[in-house]
Amino acid sequence: MKDNTKLLTIITYAILLGAVSVLLNDMREFDFNQFEKFQNWAKTADKSEHWFTSKNAIEWSYYAISAAIFFWRGYLIYGFSYFLSILKEVENGNYFSDKNIKYFKRIGSIFINYTISILVLRFLLTAIDGSTFKFIRELKGEFTFLIPAGLAFYILAKIFEKGKAVEEENDLTI
Amino acid sequence: MPIVVNLDLMLVKRDMKSKELAQIIGITTANLSILKSGKAKAVRFSTLEAICEALDCQPADILEYVED
Repeated sequence: MKDNTKLLTIITYAILLGAVSVLLNDMREFDFNQFEKFQNWAKTADKSEHWFTSKNAIEWSYYAISAAIFFWRGYLIYGFSYFLSILKEVENGNYFSDKNIKYFKRIGSIFINYTISILVLRFLLTAIDGSTFKFIRELKGEFTFLIPAGLAFYILAKIFEKGKAVEEENDLTI
Repeated sequence: MPIVVNLDLMLVKRDMKSKELAQIIGITTANLSILKSGKAKAVRFSTLEAICEALDCQPADILEYVED
């Protein structure tokens, strides 16, 4: 069991590093200079023009939302990092610990929060660039994978809660 | 809990110490203390059998039902 835990820890580290490097690469490719342009525009903008409908504001909103999507991807990777904490608890022999129950719940909530936030942000993006928002096309991956995975982690947390109660009862059986 | 463990009483009757009983029946003194204090959730038949054998008594001498 201990060897399996070590192998799983190594695989989790590799996945985490891969996810972080992909995110960093996407961020590098993203043109953050747009924000500087926005700052310049904010200084020289025509005060009489309604800011909300101006072209620059719409463009900036687009970039701000794109940046927010990066933030949520980082949040999802943070969720993955809880796998390492769970594996550490398992390695220490604390299978049905309060910590593991808490980690499972956190991973579940991160997966579901991520999916809902990405749905809202992508909807806003399509609203800004004027294209049509196709719910299924935009979130096919998230809804077929992350929402069920999030729910699965909540179910695991419940199973572990029961397991903890049974373990405590077993410990008090003489 | 309405089940009362009268192990202390039996130990006095048989003039035996908890540590000695724990050694004979093969459980730790900590577990025997849990049993004596009534904190145990369940007792295995094998443990009960060992206690009865060591103290030369019946299960009813150790366990008693008292209404709340």
